Amino acid sequence: MSKYITGNVATNLYWLGRYLERTAITLREISTAYDKVIDTDKDAGVKLYDKFDVELKYVNAYDFLKEAIFGKHNANILNILTNARENAIICRHLLDSEAFGEIIELHALFLSTHNNHLEIDYKLIDHAQSLIGEIWNARAMRENKALSDSFFRVGKIVEEADYRIRFHEEEDQEIIQSIFEEIDSICEYLTKDHEDLPKVKKVKGTTQDERLTALNVKIDKIIIG
Amino acid sequence: MLEKSTELHDKFWEIFSKQDRNKIDEFKLYMDKFAINFNLYKDGNFIEQSLPFDVIPRIISKKEFTEIEKGLQQRVQALNLFLEDLYTDAKIVKEGIIPREFVEQASGYLKEFVGFSPSKKIRAHINGIDLVKDSSNDKWIILEDNLRVPSGSSYPLSIRDTYRKIYPDFFEQMKIEPIKNYPSIIANAMDYVNTGGVNVVLTPGRYNSAYYEHSYLAEKSGALLVRPHELIVIDKKVYFKNYNGKRIRVGSVYRRLDDDFMDPKFFNPESLIGVPGIVESYLAGNVALLNAIGNGVADDKGIYYFVPKMIKYYLGEEPILKNAPTYLPYFKEDMEYIFNNMEKLVIKDVAEAGGYGVLFGHEMSALQIEDLKTIVKANPRRFIAQELIEFYDEKCYLNKDLQDRKADFRAYVVAADDIKVWNCGLTRYALEEGNYLVNSSQGGGFKDTWVMEL
Repeated sequence: MSKYITGNVATNLYWLGRYLERTAITLREISTAYDKVIDTDKDAGVKLYDKFDVELKYVNAYDFLKEAIFGKHNANILNILTNARENAIICRHLLDSEAFGEIIELHALFLSTHNNHLEIDYKLIDHAQSLIGEIWNARAMRENKALSDSFFRVGKIVEEADYRIRFHEEEDQEIIQSIFEEIDSICEYLTKDHEDLPKVKKVKGTTQDERLTALNVKIDKIIIG
Repeated sequence: MLEKSTELHDKFWEIFSKQDRNKIDEFKLYMDKFAINFNLYKDGNFIEQSLPFDVIPRIISKKEFTEIEKGLQQRVQALNLFLEDLYTDAKIVKEGIIPREFVEQASGYLKEFVGFSPSKKIRAHINGIDLVKDSSNDKWIILEDNLRVPSGSSYPLSIRDTYRKIYPDFFEQMKIEPIKNYPSIIANAMDYVNTGGVNVVLTPGRYNSAYYEHSYLAEKSGALLVRPHELIVIDKKVYFKNYNGKRIRVGSVYRRLDDDFMDPKFFNPESLIGVPGIVESYLAGNVALLNAIGNGVADDKGIYYFVPKMIKYYLGEEPILKNAPTYLPYFKEDMEYIFNNMEKLVIKDVAEAGGYGVLFGHEMSALQIEDLKTIVKANPRRFIAQELIEFYDEKCYLNKDLQDRKADFRAYVVAADDIKVWNCGLTRYALEEGNYLVNSSQGGGFKDTWVMEL
């Protein structure tokens, strides 16, 4: 039965992988910037959010964390996690129950911090990163769910590729190449038995935009049901 | 009023008294973490909330449960025979056991399905039968049959799972019947009637009040979870649309949609949900539906009155489990009795469910009773009246205190090659002390049910 999955569930698994990875990456970047904002580079947060096309304003390091995590902008962590939670609820029957529980807990952690106006500090970020680590570990322990796992996994690495192309294209050339190879390999697995399905092409392109477009076209071809 | 304590209860409280009370908070956190939710629409808004639950289980001795089991098997067998008869030969009507007019006026009766016999002639596959234990005579009484889309089975499964993690002592020291087999009982029922193809659980989608349950049962029974538009009917055969566009034949559908929403081509053309053509496929014998379409006639509150007669008619047996004493204003004698005793009866609107449309005579003013009499007289088929059953309370740990709440019990009875009664069920308790309405839509909560012996 594990070879059958609806397009809707596949899409939700894919986006769950993306949103979780987006959360992990953003928190990692926030952590690094926070450290700089404290004493070495007050504008580190501004520079970081400039890459997200967000004009972030803050008065000190704590305020940076608050604005970065709960500010009114697209990279708001609570919004990203609300989307991840929704994806997880829709495809929970294919998720490891521990992983599902950690996603609910992760969202609840940020929601409660936001609603109760609790102070945001490094502990929140550490706790969240630890929960995300547990989610990926739980995924690795699952059995006989190769298909659903592939959608989850490909979402994660597409997000990573997207991030590295946008933020570190120069220095991460080799890593980006290896991610593309893994994406190709998963896509081949997802389309292997179906002659009627258009074969996805290797991700090619020269400019950043072309590579990202090629990546998205490839993913769009996998889920057609 | 609480049931008399037994050795089983004493043993439970002995172990419970040794448990760290902080574990109750841990228990609640665990349940929240796994989002055991009950969705509802209130004032047009979608609300996702945790279903209230209690950590004190209902305890039923194995010996007592065996009697309940026999009664439920008998009842579900008779109800299945009734449905098959009604939609084919209709002997029970022809012989005057149930008035034809009474059946035909039931909203769940679908004359378009007369003459059709489904796979293996089973119609009521997955059933929820509601019972209470009468404190006046210690007997279990049937309050309602749910033969269409009964919900709630995933809640005891989830709370049991939590219980075993947080309080393993009880399971080490007491002989509590395991319950994990329920999804395999469901899978067996789907396999038994399967007409060739995969099993699916058909959900209306994410915003349905029981989506959590649909998802849970699909996962545990190995069926595919699908929404209506993820199925397609071609040449009277139902197919599942795989993510890659491939079509996979479906042989059995555990549907969690009401009849009216199953097929816009057959029922409501305005409906945005449903699988166009699935009824045609079903009538061609190409797919099994659990439960069958048209079952609503058998769990109609008015038809409930006749179930003891069905048991005698089809099985030649006396009912093991009794109904609550019920009166039908449809019959002249009963109408008189109801009018003379309305202040002590419970009046139910047969068209309502979920605790709605239930009126308690003792809570009504003289004027309200007179008004109700006028309404009943004008629409005798629309109402039933029942004696008020003083059913037992259960102890609940609410607001850090032990409190008594009225509680019913929904048993799950699954018909396939034989009829199995799951050795657990959904115990539902009322929100407030003294309240008789335990439905979750009325704010009621649930608790685990332990079938056990020392």
